Amino acid sequence: MLKNQLITPEGTKDDLFEEASVCRRIAQRLCGLFEKRGFAEVVTPGLEFLDVFSVEGHSIPTEYMFKLTDPKGRLLVIRPDSTLPIARLCATRLKGELLPLRLYYNQAVYSSNPALRGRSDEVKQAGVELIGVQSKLADLEILSLALKSLEELGSPSFRLEIGHIGFFNILADSLCLDAAAREELRLLIEVKNYPAVGDILDRFSGRKEALILKQLPRLFGGEEVFRQASALIENSEAAPILSYLQQLYESLQKLGLGDQVSVDLGIVNRTDYYTGVVFKGYLEGYGEPILSGGRYDRLLASFGEEAPAIGFAVHIDAAARTLMREQEVRIPPAERLIFAEPGREMEAIHYLNELTSQGVKAELSLFSTWEESLEYAEKRGISRLEKPGLSSSGGKVQ
Amino acid sequence: MKPIRIALTKGRLEKDTTRLFEQMGLDCTELLQKGRKLILSIPNAGLEVVLAKAADVITYIENGVCDLGVVGKDTIMEYGGSFFEVMDLGFGRCRFALAGKKGADFYAGYGEKTIATKYPNVSRGFFKGKGMDIRVVRIEGSVELAPLLGLADGIVDIVETGTTLRENGLEVIEDVAPISARVIVNTVSMKLRKAEIEGLLHRMEQALDLKNKGE
Repeated sequence: MLKNQLITPEGTKDDLFEEASVCRRIAQRLCGLFEKRGFAEVVTPGLEFLDVFSVEGHSIPTEYMFKLTDPKGRLLVIRPDSTLPIARLCATRLKGELLPLRLYYNQAVYSSNPALRGRSDEVKQAGVELIGVQSKLADLEILSLALKSLEELGSPSFRLEIGHIGFFNILADSLCLDAAAREELRLLIEVKNYPAVGDILDRFSGRKEALILKQLPRLFGGEEVFRQASALIENSEAAPILSYLQQLYESLQKLGLGDQVSVDLGIVNRTDYYTGVVFKGYLEGYGEPILSGGRYDRLLASFGEEAPAIGFAVHIDAAARTLMREQEVRIPPAERLIFAEPGREMEAIHYLNELTSQGVKAELSLFSTWEESLEYAEKRGISRLEKPGLSSSGGKVQ
Repeated sequence: MKPIRIALTKGRLEKDTTRLFEQMGLDCTELLQKGRKLILSIPNAGLEVVLAKAADVITYIENGVCDLGVVGKDTIMEYGGSFFEVMDLGFGRCRFALAGKKGADFYAGYGEKTIATKYPNVSRGFFKGKGMDIRVVRIEGSVELAPLLGLADGIVDIVETGTTLRENGLEVIEDVAPISARVIVNTVSMKLRKAEIEGLLHRMEQALDLKNKGE
């Protein structure tokens, strides 16, 4: 036997029974929702040229993509993300289409994660992209769809958190930091390293922008954040952004979800990719965001087509894992087992067809005696054994 | 209400943190007489404590099975990961340093340098910043032995007083980074349990201030 014949590569796994069906149900519910909201499905290839993903600010560094070459020696990658292929699609086959375009996808993405940290290298995602419109209404459409998607997962304790990439970009621009110092500051704000952010910004003693940036990682939570921030931010270049974010927040409140919407002004991930509102969705019981998205108005231009866009992706396996935690994984039993008497097999199959077309979940017994079939039905948890014409309770069927 | 679960790095950081918790008026009886129990509770405070090796603290926080952790900056620098690093506790203070044989010029010559270390990522990062290619050899025990045996030109290691270095004819060539104990928080816990976690951090900060004034 070969060395690796019995195992799957690290970061991948087989989905059995309940796991597979929960994932599929979640994907179906999300896709159904996207369809009803007027989004159209696209499937992009599992293999793409590396060039498609060589975009500034892309979330997956080249070293973490699975690479191979085509017969001409060109570098290919196994799809690490769905948004960039969709941007490519919009700039080529969908060029000149009536805007806005509403697209959705439901496909896995692949990237190699540092070993032994419990991360998956294969992640099922469902997501949407709204292309061609930059407006408050477009932002609200996508934010409300993100909320609806979280609701659709079926867990009552979810949270959507919104922020805006403009705070950091505008404030950091005004301090004229060089690229290295700017990145250092960004990383420290991202990890909410309060003391180190303070140390860096104290060098700009008293500059208003530095004072705001210093507070940025602490400005997260509910409505009170706007009160705390407004005194600090008013009259600065970031003031219009704060008021825009507050408008979005207040509009979302009208959907009646209360404290299931929150804000974090200190979201600063992928500052060279996102251009406007950014958001993350959380489920209680899972240690990482389960949904993430934002506005990326410059991306399509790097494929030669100027168009604003906003979208998000839902991490389906993570949602499934959270929802099924502590549930036992087993084969869901059929409602009836159909015994095929030797010589009368086709009658049994005919009966099976009849039952399944009535919506009854039924399974064919492959044992040649009634007793063996009964034993199997008990072990499997199937409550009724039947043969065409007779059921186990002795009563006539039909 | 689910308790806030705290992961502490076993050993010195655990003791220092327990002392801090005591100053905050928390009942640390279970922590002080822990026996073989792995999950310890702090009664009446809604807190639960887990003791773990340094790198495991990061893993538990990253995966969200613990909400808050106390771990050295050395471990954070070596293992990385995504979490919030919200507080410098000030204790467990030491530094990463590059050391070599006393009197030898580490940077002399064009040959590739070999570094023996328990912290390959920290070492690579430090020399990457200098644009220097190095060969890294991972050593699990006393790294000081490697330059003495001629395996390495230098070591990158945690230095507290420098006594071990001196006694073996080694000296610090350059400081790499200061180290102290940090509080890290899971990114989702920070958002979903903001009030509880910020309250706890605030009380820790107050106790630290009090202690610093006392010294």
